[in-house]
Amino acid sequence: MTNSIGASDARSALTTVEYSRQQVIAEIDMPRWYWLGLAAGWLGMGVVTDLGPGWLALAAAPVFGASHAAVAHKVLSGRRRSPQLSVHAELAGTHVPALVIGFLVGLVGVTIAAGLLIDADGARHPATIASVIAAVAVALGGPELMAAVRRRALRNVSP
Amino acid sequence: MAEPRFDDLIHPSTRLSIVALLAAADWIDFAFVRDRLGLSDSALSKQFATLEDAGYIVIERLLANGRRRVRVRLTDTGRHAFDGHVAALREIVASADLTAAP
Repeated sequence: MTNSIGASDARSALTTVEYSRQQVIAEIDMPRWYWLGLAAGWLGMGVVTDLGPGWLALAAAPVFGASHAAVAHKVLSGRRRSPQLSVHAELAGTHVPALVIGFLVGLVGVTIAAGLLIDADGARHPATIASVIAAVAVALGGPELMAAVRRRALRNVSP
Repeated sequence: MAEPRFDDLIHPSTRLSIVALLAAADWIDFAFVRDRLGLSDSALSKQFATLEDAGYIVIERLLANGRRRVRVRLTDTGRHAFDGHVAALREIVASADLTAAP
């Protein structure tokens, strides 16, 4: 194979490569329905805890966990937002599932702590109020977390 | 780090864009590449045929939810060639920078 191009052409070609990578990195994400469904489920758990019978509150957590597990494994990698492509693992990073799970575990702690504080303050529906806080954090924070993953992926690629 | 190896087949701008997209993914739909590069179906098909003949890509025709879909992925040979080409481009730029340095 020949190698007869100049530095200017080589730079231009590397820019083309970087631009293509950026287009694929822009696809690293999780579906919007995942975050909205999670927020709705979180809210539902809070309402059931406050207003539902004891057995329903006890059953809600494992049902919620199982439902989440059933769908999460398909989307947690952040590589399949679009049905049109699967982002290469090396580009998306292998840490995304751990990052999302860590975010959710942290929110469980925040929900419990907020619920106990609100209950101590004498509010009538502490679990519902705490779950509203967590649901808003999931719906807004989830997409923001994935935006941070994309920014990190962009920093990591160099032509 | 791949061994620098300039690849004349990959280097033309459109083909380089196609291979760079494919290198960043496990697989990509035909339509995604077409829309991102603003090519017609026939123009993109010709580029894919050239890359397929070289053994750089594999084209898979699937039937999903009653719709025909064409998925394209880079082969190991194609990925190796792309990595070598990018390494060669970097080497050219590095050499020029070294020469230009006072």
